[in-house]
Amino acid sequence: MARYGMALDYKNCINCKACEVACKEENGVLLGADKHRIWVGVKEIEGEYPLLNIASNTFYPSQCQHCDNAPCEEVCPTHATHYDENGVVRVDPNKCILCSYCMNACPYDARYVDDRTMTVDKCNFCSDTRLARGETTTACQATCPTKVRIFGDLDDPNSEISQVLREREHFSLKPHLGTKPKLFYLM
Amino acid sequence: MDLQKIIPYKKMSLKELLVPENKLMALIAVVLTTLFLIGVAIYLVHGHHAYAVTREHPWGLLIAMYIFFVVSSTGLCIVGSFGDVFGFKDYMVVSKRAIFGSIITILSGFAVIAFEIGHPVTMMIYNVLSPGLTSAIWWMGTLYGLYLTFMIIEFIFLMRNDMARAKIFGLIGLLVGLAAHSNLGGVFGFLNARVVSNGVFYPTYFILTAFITGIYLIFIMYGYKYRGQPFPDDVAKALTNFMKIQGLLLAILMFFETWKMLTGVYGGMPERADTIIHILHTKSFWLGEVLCGMVIPFLLILKSKGTAIKQMVWASVIGMVGIFYMRYDLVHDTQLFPMQTLKIREYQLPPSFVDYFPSTAEMMIGFGAIGICMILYFIGTKLFDLDHMPEHH
Repeated sequence: MARYGMALDYKNCINCKACEVACKEENGVLLGADKHRIWVGVKEIEGEYPLLNIASNTFYPSQCQHCDNAPCEEVCPTHATHYDENGVVRVDPNKCILCSYCMNACPYDARYVDDRTMTVDKCNFCSDTRLARGETTTACQATCPTKVRIFGDLDDPNSEISQVLREREHFSLKPHLGTKPKLFYLM
Repeated sequence: MDLQKIIPYKKMSLKELLVPENKLMALIAVVLTTLFLIGVAIYLVHGHHAYAVTREHPWGLLIAMYIFFVVSSTGLCIVGSFGDVFGFKDYMVVSKRAIFGSIITILSGFAVIAFEIGHPVTMMIYNVLSPGLTSAIWWMGTLYGLYLTFMIIEFIFLMRNDMARAKIFGLIGLLVGLAAHSNLGGVFGFLNARVVSNGVFYPTYFILTAFITGIYLIFIMYGYKYRGQPFPDDVAKALTNFMKIQGLLLAILMFFETWKMLTGVYGGMPERADTIIHILHTKSFWLGEVLCGMVIPFLLILKSKGTAIKQMVWASVIGMVGIFYMRYDLVHDTQLFPMQTLKIREYQLPPSFVDYFPSTAEMMIGFGAIGICMILYFIGTKLFDLDHMPEHH
């Protein structure tokens, strides 16, 4: 079994939002739904012309961090949120009671209510779609024009993501919470 | 099956049962219950869209009202236990009424939460089939279910004047209730991502404020029963004692709150200090929680040295308004700080605290449930003898 994670070469992001579009198309996210599953966080340029702080202008693609120690999984009263065999944090809509505890417990604001099933949903690394069809990439990764995203098995030392994480400095979000995210931002 | 053999009650016709003892209170109860039903109808048509909760603020007024009712229930259970569980004779007179109150308040709480949880039937199935034992909500819900069962059994034995058995089930019910209630505090205390709520404060604060709520409610119930007339000696004695205990409890609560706020602000820790300072600038904290919930009743207790039990009834009504604000604020404050990772400066919008104001449907269901509680209380006081306790047990 794999342990999937994703590395984000976020400085390459040009905020084209192709990843959001591809995710919606692949995973059937409702049209008009904003920041469902994945999003690009925008930090605009600070300062006044001509003293603009160019370095402050960054784009941060983000999504569910697929934590190894996920608070959402811990707080779920019915095990609707669970780890699958690939370490992906998943939601079983048949078991979800919409108590919203996971939404409150997630430090990354990664969860939303799917208006069709009225259950909580989030990114699942295309586990129901592309991975289920035997593909090895996620929709957001496959579509990215600047190759921001590297998806793969963290337990496989020869996978691209493992190599990149060995070679490049990286950070994860809110590491002090001990959630052990599997999304890594490459520096 | 003869129900009378299981639980003694006064036999009366439906008409006798439904004729109100006090027309104004009956009208308020009916109006509130009607609002509850209209709110439920709106919810059934529109689902969760009828509520003002959002992704950033998924818990709203209904969670606050659920907590309000279950805090009341646990509080009345603690107050009732003084007499029938711990055997303090001075408090025996209030036990039946308090335990009955604990049952109807938790039922009202369940009525609210049934329309907050998106899939209550699924909850009942998968709570059993795939229990999430690390979830405070699982423990809280399961223990409250057990608690209600024990409270009903205790009440049946109380009605039969079987004090020995009432004591056993009362003790079990009290312990399960305290566990359930501190778990409800744990629901917030376990939220590592929400620094204002995370930690030991809420599980202990919930028990303390439950006790305070129980005493407020016992004053309101007796104040209503003996409106326009003096309290009988035994009731007056119990209430005077409770008023003095309330003084101590309110002092402890003010002490707790002061240190919560001081430690929250101290050092200017990001997220926590900002949120606490924001809370300290809200009217609902100062006027609702502090003035109504603590200071007004506390000053009355101090001024009268714990003897003004008639005025304390009104102070308790004000106190319950404060208790509502405590519940509402703890839910809202937990969610104040946005979790929007890496999307906090979008399109020139500065980061701001998350906004929430309940929708009409939420208010109808949340406040309407007070009507359900009142109706259950009026029916209960007609059906059951909630006053007389056996002399010896």
